[in-house]
Amino acid sequence: MPLAAKKAARYAVAFFLIISLNFAIPRAMPGDPLTNLLGEDVDVTGGTIVELREKMGLDEPVHLQYLYYWWSLLNLDLGYSYHLHSPVSSAILSRMKWTLLLSVPSLILGAVIGTFFGALAGWKRREAAGQLETALVLTVFCTPPYFLSLLALYVFSFYLGLFPLKGFYSSGSWLDVAHHFLLPVLVMTLFSASRNYMIMRGSVIQEKASLYAAYARAKGLYGNQILFRHIFKNALLPIITLLAIDFGFILSGALFIEIVFSMNGMGNLIYDALLSRDYPVLQGSFLIITVMVIAANLLADLLYSRVDPRVRWQ
Amino acid sequence: MKIIIPKALSQAALALLFAVLILGMAASGADNSSGILLKIGTPNVVKSASLLGDTNMGVFSHLSNPTLMKMAADGSIVGLAAKNSEVSSDGKTWKFTINEDLYWSDGQKLTPEDVKFTFDYLAEKYPAAGWMKTTIEDISVDGNDVVFKLNKPYSRLNLEFATYTILPKHIWEKIDDPVEFTNEGEVVGFGPFTITKTDLAAGVIYFKKNPYWKGATPKIDSLEIHTYSNMDVLSLALEKGDVDAYYKYAGTYPYTSVQKLKDTGNFEFMEKDNIGLIFLGMNLKKEPMSDLEFRKALSYAVNCSELLKLDALDFGQVPNAGFVPPAMMDYKETEKLRCNLETAKKILADAGYKDSDSNGILEGKDGKDIKLVLLTRNDYQRVTELLVEYLKAVGMDSEIKTVDSSTWIKQKDAYEYDLTVTRSTPWGMLMHANWGTGYFDSRRTGEGVLHVLDDPTFLKLCDDILAATSDDQLKDYAHQLQDYYAENLPSIALYWNKVETPYNKAFKGWYSDPLYGIYNVDNFLAVEKA
Repeated sequence: MPLAAKKAARYAVAFFLIISLNFAIPRAMPGDPLTNLLGEDVDVTGGTIVELREKMGLDEPVHLQYLYYWWSLLNLDLGYSYHLHSPVSSAILSRMKWTLLLSVPSLILGAVIGTFFGALAGWKRREAAGQLETALVLTVFCTPPYFLSLLALYVFSFYLGLFPLKGFYSSGSWLDVAHHFLLPVLVMTLFSASRNYMIMRGSVIQEKASLYAAYARAKGLYGNQILFRHIFKNALLPIITLLAIDFGFILSGALFIEIVFSMNGMGNLIYDALLSRDYPVLQGSFLIITVMVIAANLLADLLYSRVDPRVRWQ
Repeated sequence: MKIIIPKALSQAALALLFAVLILGMAASGADNSSGILLKIGTPNVVKSASLLGDTNMGVFSHLSNPTLMKMAADGSIVGLAAKNSEVSSDGKTWKFTINEDLYWSDGQKLTPEDVKFTFDYLAEKYPAAGWMKTTIEDISVDGNDVVFKLNKPYSRLNLEFATYTILPKHIWEKIDDPVEFTNEGEVVGFGPFTITKTDLAAGVIYFKKNPYWKGATPKIDSLEIHTYSNMDVLSLALEKGDVDAYYKYAGTYPYTSVQKLKDTGNFEFMEKDNIGLIFLGMNLKKEPMSDLEFRKALSYAVNCSELLKLDALDFGQVPNAGFVPPAMMDYKETEKLRCNLETAKKILADAGYKDSDSNGILEGKDGKDIKLVLLTRNDYQRVTELLVEYLKAVGMDSEIKTVDSSTWIKQKDAYEYDLTVTRSTPWGMLMHANWGTGYFDSRRTGEGVLHVLDDPTFLKLCDDILAATSDDQLKDYAHQLQDYYAENLPSIALYWNKVETPYNKAFKGWYSDPLYGIYNVDNFLAVEKA
């Protein structure tokens, strides 16, 4: 079997297993979707509970629920959320656009800045300025995301008054949206960049000790030429893996930012669905994440083959 | 390379600064609201614009679509959409006379037919009002009165009707499933302010004056409810002036943040006794909790004054054995709970709980060491840890099981715990037969309900309260019930706390009721610019 077919088969099996797990995991959690549906201090009769269970399809045996789940997926129906009173697809779409607006620029900027400056830091690691820079980046990298977000909000929004404290927008104009997004995007970029910086720095330090780097120097190439023509490409491999992971979790990875900045995005959607055991929303969100993770892995495989001749398809 | 990077960086930083300034100016220029605007900040995040399907949206809609009755500051029930209510001597017929000067925001008059429709509709289509189906036999309109005929005496119908919003028949009769119906646009209401927009992405509910409102003239022009996912940020928003006041249903402003807000000099605090409370629930279906002597010993082992100090920063008072807080109607003074380890140990020893193998842990009646499971949620972690220490001091081993809310409900309903720390909301204290009975009656179910008490004396008291036909009878039963709590200790109140509601001094005239705090029609009619 050709390698491409093997890979495709592997991805198909992974997809099937993950989709099945997406069904099983929410149901394996203790609790019930009904428990959080009616409010803390509401009494409902036994008959009403039976009616609601029936309406939500929870009265069926699990194997039937599993079959209905697949049938719905094959019909591109993600189900209905009785917690959000909306089809899951609408709930996800309405949140996804905002989260993508938050995550995509952060991911791209974080990748570019982190990789570039990380490579330079690895190349010139003995310089005092570089060491100071690394110490600062390491501090950001080690700071809990929630704390750093809150700190940024306190300094820039509360103390300096440069940004709003919450939400995706106030008036809804594009300028207003941009104003609301700038600080969260910068904070997310900082996180992403700091992580990529540290990985790239380590990777460059390792690569520059290789013989091919010494050979390039012996040929008389300048430092920057050695770094960006030869070392950079090889040092980039771990970053590609990380970016693939980031891309997979682009929708759920902004949870802390969304909580601190009171943004009703995908992170909050999944978090709330977990707390309220909203199975359809969890299944729908996990499906999107699954597709993205698999697509990102596939993309990483392809990129690897472009960047690293050792892992070519054939 | 060395020179180029810092230059590029400084240029990027400058560009960013300019962008921020331009965006900031442009965005603030877009705010063109006129008149007096009051902004309320709340951690009660609305997830869906469903009046009947989202708990928080339901609370916020009370201003747009008020209730038939309301709770006055002293806890009594008085008219809101209804002028008054009357109950027959057998307690089975209730008559509500509807106010004649109420108009929906689309200009139509609110009629008794709207009221009849609302309750018929809710009974039929709203799961949380399922009790109506089994209690209300018939609803009829007689002139300006709406008459409810019940199949059994029900003393608290007027109280129930202080929680259900009245719906316009001409709008809602076309809606088949009210719980699933969402509306992010204008809501037709008859309150002094009506919802014009629910913007979930911005986290704001907008209200404007109802042009057809004939009651007292509001002193503010519009109102906005701003929801925050994060309490720390909400505190900053108050301090910064982004919002003017704080509101949380069944909750207080965090005690740890009170002083910081006071220090700004811009805020006043409305302080009210909470009718909800934090309590130690017990699984009465299991040994040793089913033993009254054990529960008595427990009540002496718990150091309520320390709990009050550490968990509520002394914003409240040490509770009585009678459980019910003084802010509730028909409160009766019972014995104050006091911590006395020697008394606790003596009661346990006299009841046969002894440490015969001298390992420091008492044995239960089955001869095994007592090891209690304390089921708790993150909100009560600190209190639970203190309770473990108190239990240890009288020779009881225990383990903490911290779970999320859904798991707590599941395990609580399956009686998979010994003790649990939980809370009652104001409505929770009033539900069922009032005075917290709804949490203990074994015939009930619900998210916060423990349903652990099946003592016939208690069940009869609940039924008597529900069937009471006069205020004197109710008062008598309420006192009997509090005596029952004090003698039988089905649960131990850990502290009675205060509800602190901060508001900016730029506004005055605030009013709070025991059920919904400042979120009531009277408050928003009274609040004005200072």
